[in-house]
Amino acid sequence: MIIRRALIRGSRLMQSPLRSFVRGLGTHPQSDLSQGKHLPEHSQTPGNPENGFKKRPIDEGNPMTLKDEFEMLQKFRKSTGTLGTRIAPHYKPHAAAAHPPAPQDITLELLLAAGAHLGHSTSLWNPGNQRYIFGIRQGIHIISLEQTAAHLRRAAKVVEGVARNGGLVLFVGSRQGQDRCVVEAAKRAGGCHLFEKWVPGTITNGSRIVGAGAVIEKDFSDRENPKGPIENADPIRPDLVVCLNPLENYIMLHECASTNIPTIGVIDTDADPTWVTYPIPANDDSLRCTQLIAGILGRAAEAGRLARIAKAETQL
Amino acid sequence: MTVGVRSLRSSMRAVVGDLLRFSRPHLRQQTLRFSTASVARAENELATPTDAADEPPSTWEQSRDKTRLVPVSPSYFTGSPGFYDNWLALQELLRKYQTLPTVTMDEAPPAKWKTLAQYRGIVGTSVKAARYKKICNVLDRLNCINPALIPHEVSNALDMYRREVSQVESQAKPAVLDHLGRARGVGRRKTSVARVLLAEGNGEVLVNGAPLAAIFERLHDRESAVFPLLATGRMDKYNVWATVMGGGKTGQAEALTLGIARALLVHEPALKPALRRAGVVTRDPRMVERKKPGHVKARKMPTWVKR
Repeated sequence: MIIRRALIRGSRLMQSPLRSFVRGLGTHPQSDLSQGKHLPEHSQTPGNPENGFKKRPIDEGNPMTLKDEFEMLQKFRKSTGTLGTRIAPHYKPHAAAAHPPAPQDITLELLLAAGAHLGHSTSLWNPGNQRYIFGIRQGIHIISLEQTAAHLRRAAKVVEGVARNGGLVLFVGSRQGQDRCVVEAAKRAGGCHLFEKWVPGTITNGSRIVGAGAVIEKDFSDRENPKGPIENADPIRPDLVVCLNPLENYIMLHECASTNIPTIGVIDTDADPTWVTYPIPANDDSLRCTQLIAGILGRAAEAGRLARIAKAETQL
Repeated sequence: MTVGVRSLRSSMRAVVGDLLRFSRPHLRQQTLRFSTASVARAENELATPTDAADEPPSTWEQSRDKTRLVPVSPSYFTGSPGFYDNWLALQELLRKYQTLPTVTMDEAPPAKWKTLAQYRGIVGTSVKAARYKKICNVLDRLNCINPALIPHEVSNALDMYRREVSQVESQAKPAVLDHLGRARGVGRRKTSVARVLLAEGNGEVLVNGAPLAAIFERLHDRESAVFPLLATGRMDKYNVWATVMGGGKTGQAEALTLGIARALLVHEPALKPALRRAGVVTRDPRMVERKKPGHVKARKMPTWVKR
């Protein structure tokens, strides 16, 4: 009763085709609700432009195939799927992977929502991370998000600079669930990805491990040499390595350090910050956090790559 | 910092052999070369002058200061780029069409995918069996998309992995009697091998040229050697000519059992259930177990000493 009165007063809802629906909210047993007249379909006629989709007339001689039925179902879902409760903006993992934020969008709220501040138990810490720790809560170290943001912005600058100068960026993330973000980041950067185990010797013994891979000559606007891949090329080394789980990939970081390849790594409170050139103090156990970092660095690399291509095009 | 960037135009002329092109994103081929770099380059220098004269000047030939060498595949550092590119392409397809209605595996069109050996032949020897199994799982899932709604993209991708099964080759060649009406059978037990010729006759058995009683002193061995014929009551209907070597007496007798059973199945395939119940169809896989370090024999350990 109260609802009905409120709705009558709220006259915005009194326009067709919802009027019949509103009428149906009454408590009277003989109301339109029981006779099914509240359904919007009853007020619609076929071919009515108010419809979200065109109903196909039933033709016995030419029945609808499964494909036609499925297409109709898709259209119906598209038109009516948004009806109902309006859901507040929230985190969607698949959307975050496909459309990550840029370095300009780094905020403390974003990092907090991703859980970047959650470190490990205080008894498991590496004292080298002291400068990045904000405090202790519930037995774990809390990473200072200001430090995280500052280091992340610095890392984004580094990645952008390397991409701008035509360097090869390798994104590495070997944990379960990091494969997609690593592949997407590498695609944006025009670099390489690795989401399974790093084979020891990939850099120091490259001719054996990656030597069979095809290599091609490209100019600074990313156009390929029309002659095609080069035969018997030397193994390639990355110019920058971004690692989302340095604790598992310590061999790779050691190889990079011994061959003067700069590295960026997500350093948790139990990881050694001296293993990488540019540490990003953040939670490496949170998939949301590592995917966010990979996305931001991928976007930064994309910006650098596009700037390089634009510059090369203008110099033609 | 800029390890991979260097000027190449003066020093490098790319070689055209088998080109890897992005036009086939789902299945990437690799051919391995075994010539030395210097030989390859010499061959190219002979080839390029004529080619350069014929081709019109392309935009690549315009003056460019800097070029760099980059990997063709973004999976370069995985060690098996061909496999990973295929895997990622299939994953992307699956992600794109995962909401399409599916049918059960039984209702889906029957599909055989390429064997590991065939796939390795295409992509390279670095592919592990477990990894290729993952690709096959994704292919099975894509194959389960309702056939009325399957997109062309997906069916093209599946066709690339489909194994061409020739009906003629996949059918087993039926065993037949030779021109003298004999059936062949081979039996093995431990290290003994028996080769048996079985023909219709009156019940003579010759093993290595000698009668059964001369070869096998034990009655048990003689019985087990011709057990297939005894169990089916065909002792007086067939003649056996067998050569047996390796192992000991009982092993040879058991090998004969299997050999005669297989030869008998060529003559009368309908006897298979009866022979199986008699226990002569299966090859006994038991072999002598090796001696292990720390043991006296395969299992026996030296006497345990308290101190």
